[in-house]
Amino acid sequence: MIKNVLTHIGGIEAYGILSVLLFFAVFTATLIWAFRLKSAHLESMSRLPLHDGTPCPASLPSNSSQPNSRHE
Amino acid sequence: MNVETFRYDNRIVRAFAVACVVFAIVGMLAGLLAAIQLFYPAANLNLQYTTFGRLRPLHTNAVIFAFVGNGMFMGIYYSLQRLCKARMFSDTLSWLNFWGWNAIIVSAAVTLPLGLTTSKEYAELEWPIDIAIAVVWVIFTVNLMGTILKRREKHMYVAIWFYIATALTVAVLHIVNSLEVPAGPWKSYSIYAGVQDALVQWWYGHNAVAFFLTTPYLGLMYYFLPKAADRPVFSYRLSIIHFWALIFLYIWAGPHHLLYTALPDWAQSLGMIFSIMLVAPSWGGMLNGLLTLRGAWDKVRQDPMLKFMVVAVTAYGMATLEGPTLAIKSVNSLSHYTDWTIAHVHTGALGWNGFLTFSMLYWLFPKMYRTQLYSVKLANYHFWIGVLGMMFYVVPMYFSGVTQGLMWKQFTADGFLQYPNFLETVIRLLPMHRLRAVGGGLFILGVFMMAWNLYKTAKAGNFLADEEVQVPVAEPNHGHADKKWGHRWLEAKPLTFTVLTVVAILVGGLIEIVPLYLIKENVPTIASVKPYTPLEVLGRDLYIREGCVGCHSQMIRPFRSETERYGEYSKAGEFVNDHPFLWGSKRTGPDLHRVGGKYPNAWHYNHMEKPESTSPGSIMPPYPWLLTQKLDTSSLAARIKALRSVGVPYPEGAETTAQADLEAQAKQVVLGLKTGMIDATPDREIIALIAYLQRLGIDIKASAVAQATPTP
Repeated sequence: MIKNVLTHIGGIEAYGILSVLLFFAVFTATLIWAFRLKSAHLESMSRLPLHDGTPCPASLPSNSSQPNSRHE
Repeated sequence: MNVETFRYDNRIVRAFAVACVVFAIVGMLAGLLAAIQLFYPAANLNLQYTTFGRLRPLHTNAVIFAFVGNGMFMGIYYSLQRLCKARMFSDTLSWLNFWGWNAIIVSAAVTLPLGLTTSKEYAELEWPIDIAIAVVWVIFTVNLMGTILKRREKHMYVAIWFYIATALTVAVLHIVNSLEVPAGPWKSYSIYAGVQDALVQWWYGHNAVAFFLTTPYLGLMYYFLPKAADRPVFSYRLSIIHFWALIFLYIWAGPHHLLYTALPDWAQSLGMIFSIMLVAPSWGGMLNGLLTLRGAWDKVRQDPMLKFMVVAVTAYGMATLEGPTLAIKSVNSLSHYTDWTIAHVHTGALGWNGFLTFSMLYWLFPKMYRTQLYSVKLANYHFWIGVLGMMFYVVPMYFSGVTQGLMWKQFTADGFLQYPNFLETVIRLLPMHRLRAVGGGLFILGVFMMAWNLYKTAKAGNFLADEEVQVPVAEPNHGHADKKWGHRWLEAKPLTFTVLTVVAILVGGLIEIVPLYLIKENVPTIASVKPYTPLEVLGRDLYIREGCVGCHSQMIRPFRSETERYGEYSKAGEFVNDHPFLWGSKRTGPDLHRVGGKYPNAWHYNHMEKPESTSPGSIMPPYPWLLTQKLDTSSLAARIKALRSVGVPYPEGAETTAQADLEAQAKQVVLGLKTGMIDATPDREIIALIAYLQRLGIDIKASAVAQATPTP
């Protein structure tokens, strides 16, 4: 039924303009979003991959015989 | 503040890593064999199973889904646990993901050489495997989201956003593009036809590149690059803009694969504009990656892992500048259907995906095996041989593409085509094709060196299967303290984040695809275009089985150089019964849309048996098996029924008379062959294929184009 209702959409030419405006809105919102963030938060977030957690002694190569971490 | 102790699962990472290396070798060797066949057709080993048309999808599927797919899972399973400070949600799901995915790959490696294919690029696998892919992808997504939900880290790092976008978008793309009606256990017809199928397919195809080859790897870049450089990403703010702009824009750009085709102009322009805008976020991401190395370039000199990473990110930048360039209509009119496209995708595949995967492997093996890399020197050799291989691949393909594109368009002073014989434009390219094979060979040699290096590293090391760590855990406060609707708040809300991501990727697809599907005037009907006859249906299915679409387009663009060469340009209304569309994206051979009636039946017979007998110097492989194999008509009724159910206007009961219709038409084809002094048996495959080829593009010759259906 939807197909019958929508067999004609007027002003298909406007889709291009509409799309660009939509992108502009999204892009602007993202910029505002990004620039409202506090430096301290950005700093802590960007350091996230650098810390995997503190290895337990068992995970260190010199103590590989410890039972907690399983080696093969 | 509590300290929690838990274990990261390295075993699953290793499993994906091993599969990644194995399939890198398999997929690239398949590519090399296909490349050799383009100047030495006998390299198909005289087997139908290893002939170019069937080998090419095997190569593309193997490198995309097996090599890069396993590489992606490897990187995600490693980094996600560490970014979430949590073990994967479920070990069972992890292993189901691994075995399910690799079983799918093995089934692809069996079915594609057998000719069981839908022919839709990068979505060739038939419906039972499509269902399996959906199931395994759901398993991966549940495992991913489950891990994110049970994380110990309050905020989600940017890499995780890219993983979320990947999981959701690939699911949407795969399901929508694979909607098909089965006509037997290994045969189906797409529910879309012609122009609509083309748009859905390239919405999928383009975004498979975007969300399978790009977004997960960007996430991996954001994790592994800072890790290897031991410094945070250059700008976390930029990564936010990079993410949202990229996922919002990418989805719109699909129609740039269909410029100057029968796709409505508004959709083409939209695709072009959004492709050009894509340069901004892509380059933002690339610069963010490269600038992360500021002050650490000395490390790049010493660490092969960083060398690979830097070239990968640079290749990403080059490919994402070239892509939008190729999406400009005037550039595309030259580049489309030529080797330029092949050069472009290999900058991405070899440089971006290949080198980034190698980089991760070189980093992960020593880490997981708690040892040093077996040979840094060998890794450096791999780096240089890989770069050389890439250059020897890509540069000849640029020359080849531009040469052929210009030759197709060249007119004499008198206004005739300078190179009316298509074959002339192919033979000119053979030296470039040989060089390309050398480049590919070098690249694979590097992969073998890496495999050896990683194997020796593993042998020397001590694998840490479960890596025990301790992390301080704050009280469970998932974003409550953050300002509501700020990005910081969002980074702590995976489900809200996921919903927003889905909205961002759906908007583009809906605005482009829905009107095309619903508005009749986008595809003007042509009264004289009729469904294929039963014999032609089976002939078309053979055309699909043999992968003819890999080298022959069926889409004549509205340029004088094309209408002079092939005939009237292709109209959208001519494809309304084409499930799936077979427009193709590469012309290693000429376009076939108007080949119907161009040659006598005997020409096609001889040409398929031995292409060089009709076209001296042709690089098309011979298809002698079509002359001897019996045409399988057992599923004919099921196929006609399936086609009717997807909208082909066969009258009720057509399936009951189909066999008789088929036999009557086959006799006519055989009669036609007799005039060419060929005695053929009517029940052979070649008869159906000839019937199909002779039907191509002749419907509009019967009457004038009807006007678009009047609007209510």
